[in-house]
Amino acid sequence: MDLMLLAPELTLVVTGLAVLLIGLFIPVGSKKILGFLATLGILAALALTVTSLGTEATMFDETLSIDALSQFFKIVFLVVLLLVSIASIKYTEGSDNTEEFFSLAIFATIGMMFVASANDLMVLFVAFELASLATYALAGFEKNNPRSIEASMKYFMIGSLSAALLLFGISFIYGMTGTTSIPAIAANAGGLVTNPIGIVALVLMLAGFGFKIALVPFHMWAPDTYQGSPSVVSALLAAGSKKMGIVAAFKVFIIALIALQAEWQMVFAILAVVTMTYGNVVALSQTSVKRMLAYSSLAQAGYISMAFVVLTPMALGGGILYALSHGFMKAGAFIATGAVVYMVLSQNKNTENPDHLDNFRGLGRRMPITALSMTIFVFALAGIPLTAGYMSKFILFSSTIQSGLVWLAVIAILNSALSLYYYARVVKYMYFLPTDAERVSEPLPYTIALAVAVIGVLAIGFWPEPFVHWAMEAAKVLIPGGI
Amino acid sequence: MIPIELYVGLAVIIFTIGLYGFMTQRSGIRMLMSVELMLNSANLNLVAFSSYNADLTGQVFALYSIALAACEAAIGFAILMTIFRMRDTINLDSFNILRW
Repeated sequence: MDLMLLAPELTLVVTGLAVLLIGLFIPVGSKKILGFLATLGILAALALTVTSLGTEATMFDETLSIDALSQFFKIVFLVVLLLVSIASIKYTEGSDNTEEFFSLAIFATIGMMFVASANDLMVLFVAFELASLATYALAGFEKNNPRSIEASMKYFMIGSLSAALLLFGISFIYGMTGTTSIPAIAANAGGLVTNPIGIVALVLMLAGFGFKIALVPFHMWAPDTYQGSPSVVSALLAAGSKKMGIVAAFKVFIIALIALQAEWQMVFAILAVVTMTYGNVVALSQTSVKRMLAYSSLAQAGYISMAFVVLTPMALGGGILYALSHGFMKAGAFIATGAVVYMVLSQNKNTENPDHLDNFRGLGRRMPITALSMTIFVFALAGIPLTAGYMSKFILFSSTIQSGLVWLAVIAILNSALSLYYYARVVKYMYFLPTDAERVSEPLPYTIALAVAVIGVLAIGFWPEPFVHWAMEAAKVLIPGGI
Repeated sequence: MIPIELYVGLAVIIFTIGLYGFMTQRSGIRMLMSVELMLNSANLNLVAFSSYNADLTGQVFALYSIALAACEAAIGFAILMTIFRMRDTINLDSFNILRW
């Protein structure tokens, strides 16, 4: 066993603890340095993960597996954390709790990374909870803001319910197969297929993951939480925590419970259609940009769930690539909204709805860089060509058609067309509505984070081959021979 | 030896009570207690299956999940404390600003 394979996680653990401890001893005025320290640690972890690409190994008695899939998702989580951490240097400025913010964000990401490499339901559950517990606290970071506390409370209540459902489901799987190791469950699945308790366990686990991915009907918390939390935390939740649910579902359903394939494929087909349609239709009428992004994020989760229905290597590759693209697009869009909220609040501290669409009026003149990046992100989310969103949607939808599920592809494409309406409305507010506002200076950390996200979105759009190849490699871990 | 069905049946009953409580109660503390019931019913299941299968994994898992439940309660009470300071109540129905 080579401990170097755990180097990214260990780096993050050290960074998180160092930030937490150093924060105790320095005055509020110089806490900005903690943000730089955290960002450096994250960059180091990202570099270590990239250098370990292509290695395959199992660790700790086969409870952790390092493979193309786990490394891919670790990079997604680290990129999202990097964007969030850069933007948060400005967001946490002057706050007494800077060290808690950065260490909680880092610990949440460590949990997500362990979920990505978990090869055992026990590790998966503990890591899942690590990520959840840290993000409950992060959502309520603005402890004097009733919206933030309400977001945190709703997220916590639903999150703990989902953990209980998940654990109850796992207990049945363990009882029926006698093991918690994911490959061993697949090998001993005989009892699960013949016994109705197998279906009960399946439903419980589906609900547990469905809450985290925010699939309709398990989505109630998501719009409230994404709207109420600080924007940088919403970025971490929508772009990171949601992907954690997806990778956990990939592992549990496609590897461990493949014997129950017929059952969960049907459920996912229904959930995918309902989720994308509901998300897009409700997003049409939103006036809060964060809430609109939350509903659009539901819709995107619906598209990604199509990978479970089609279940060909190409569709899974498309779904995995979508996870990466969605990480860049959604984190970028939330951070751009965060920049606008920051600007609005710095002009008037008591604004009721700082993320209201009206505050985006004339943004093209007031904050040109933020407005341009936001435009790129929303068009990427809608799936306009030459962006990351288009490439992922193209692969996912064309593989759906190839495998004969034309109806599903048609629904998804109609949904994408519908979503263009509310994305374009943001652009209309930013560029085409009259305003008398003056240009304001844009906070530098937000701008850097936006630039990184824009580069990511455009790189996947203009130069997709390496990313597609890499996602296909990751998909091969899930179904080695293809189905 | 007591048959496994009785343990699983008890766990299902406790789980259902917890789920019912979670759905109907509006006090934050009671909702937390309901979640604890659900988590503990899963622990009961794990330990029962572990003893039935003569495999220790389930008991280790139950220990982990007890620790996690304690962490969850800590976070939950912290959030409820903040709510109580702000509103002087932990009735969660009175706390609903975010809606569409």
